[in-house]
Amino acid sequence: MSDTEDQINDEEKAAIVHGFINHAPPGEVDDVIRDSRILLNDDNTFKDGIVEALSKYQQSQFMPVNVDDENAVLLTAHGLQDNGRFIDPATGKSFRFDFSKKSCVDIEDGSVDNGDAESWRSEIDAAISEYVKEYYPAGVSTVYGAQDGGDILITACIEDHKYSPENFWNGKWRSEWKITISGNSATVAGVLKTQVHYYEDGNVQLVSQKECKDEVSSVSSEKQLAEAVRKLVEKFEHEYQAGVFDNYNNMSTTTFKALRRQLPVTRTKIDWNKILGYQIGKEIGGK
Amino acid sequence: MANLDKQLDAALDLMRRLPPQKAEKNLSDCIDLVPELCEDLLASVDQPLRILKDSQTGKDYLLCDYNRDGDSYRSPWSNTYDPPLSDGAIPSDQLRDLEINANAAIDSYREMYYEGGISSVYLWDLDHGFAGAILIKKVGDLSTKIKGCWDSIHVIEVQEKSGGRNAHYKLTSTIMLWLQTSKAASGTMNLGGNLTRQVEKDSPLNESNSHIANIGRLIEEMENKMRNTLNEIYFGKTKDIVNDLRSMIPLSDVSKQQQIAEELRAKLGNNQ
Repeated sequence: MSDTEDQINDEEKAAIVHGFINHAPPGEVDDVIRDSRILLNDDNTFKDGIVEALSKYQQSQFMPVNVDDENAVLLTAHGLQDNGRFIDPATGKSFRFDFSKKSCVDIEDGSVDNGDAESWRSEIDAAISEYVKEYYPAGVSTVYGAQDGGDILITACIEDHKYSPENFWNGKWRSEWKITISGNSATVAGVLKTQVHYYEDGNVQLVSQKECKDEVSSVSSEKQLAEAVRKLVEKFEHEYQAGVFDNYNNMSTTTFKALRRQLPVTRTKIDWNKILGYQIGKEIGGK
Repeated sequence: MANLDKQLDAALDLMRRLPPQKAEKNLSDCIDLVPELCEDLLASVDQPLRILKDSQTGKDYLLCDYNRDGDSYRSPWSNTYDPPLSDGAIPSDQLRDLEINANAAIDSYREMYYEGGISSVYLWDLDHGFAGAILIKKVGDLSTKIKGCWDSIHVIEVQEKSGGRNAHYKLTSTIMLWLQTSKAASGTMNLGGNLTRQVEKDSPLNESNSHIANIGRLIEEMENKMRNTLNEIYFGKTKDIVNDLRSMIPLSDVSKQQQIAEELRAKLGNNQ
């Protein structure tokens, strides 16, 4: 098993490490990076592309960061500019994120211009912020606004997580809502994701995802649309969570039971001497 | 430079964190990074059990590292390898007799608790005793909207003592449980993974306490206990964590409820 032909090259090894990072459960990317580095055992290959991989991962995880003492913002692909800086549409600040210091650096004020989208963005931002406070114990939201041809595209991202590594579990919720305003109607499309990892003497993970879509047929004002969006988001997210709990119920009362009984039909544990006697009897009878 | 022990620890830690739903790929990626760890990793990382059919008897059997020799697997029914090997490792004659009886006993155990599925037992000789792998696999009814699969992997080490009147048993059990649904309300939901437990016991060896009886009792008790733990963790703990991420009722209502509950507690406390 030591053919050098079978061995993979440095590029392929780096790709594997980036793949590990991409699949790190919420709250555990530092552990995954540490383990990967030890396995790779080659710091030059390791350093190449590691920051990009980590940044991509945290963007997909909607990592919440503090852009100042009062305001949290999510790191997402929507907020990443071509120059490598992230934007916070609410405060108008832009910044770089230092992944080793785990903080926002090079912060600049007044560097975000949402154009015609701003009036729509700020109303939806206000409605979503209020919604997140109502339902998410530690939730953070970031709402982006952009122009797309004649349409306005508002993207609302919501994140909440709970990390408890001392108890061997972590969990995260992400929702991403895209509101496309075209003329005087709008479509609202959402992707909802939940991930939970439990790892005391084992490795158990819940990975769940749902897509939803609806229309707001007549849009009369920014405030009216924001209210309609908030109602839809609340309805869909509630339905999804209720659906997840319903599944838990079915899984435990039906599917799990059908895999292995608690006790045999006899309602007593097995008499292991009888089992052997029966089998030996079968053997003798069969010969 | 990292040494192999440290790398093995890192690989095992990684396997506990990466999504268990991709266990096979995760393992082969680790082996690609550190090929020298291949045998160690194959021996210490549990994988969902694969199935082969024994062409001689027509019966299915389960695959693991303990019935593997090179790229071939030994059937517990015909005691032959697939693909065939002229010199594949097989248990001694005496142990093979025990292995045949163990397979029969576990087959009955499986039928009583699982009402279906497949089981296989593989034994191998040790210096002062023997060891074994007891495997069970049960796939749920594929026609329903919720798919489920259960894999039991038990490894037992038996040391005989006191001239054969006593034995020390060490059991390491891993149960893998997989559940998937795809329903309109909840989208795709994939709940899967494994738990591992260990137990050690000394037991007498006599007519009513044969090796098979002692091992069988240990496995039965372990599986019953772990079934409860799986139930608590899969359908209790992970569900509670989801509930911690987002509340089904407005948080302002939750704090109102908590306030009312506290006032009630205070009032009841005062009346006692």
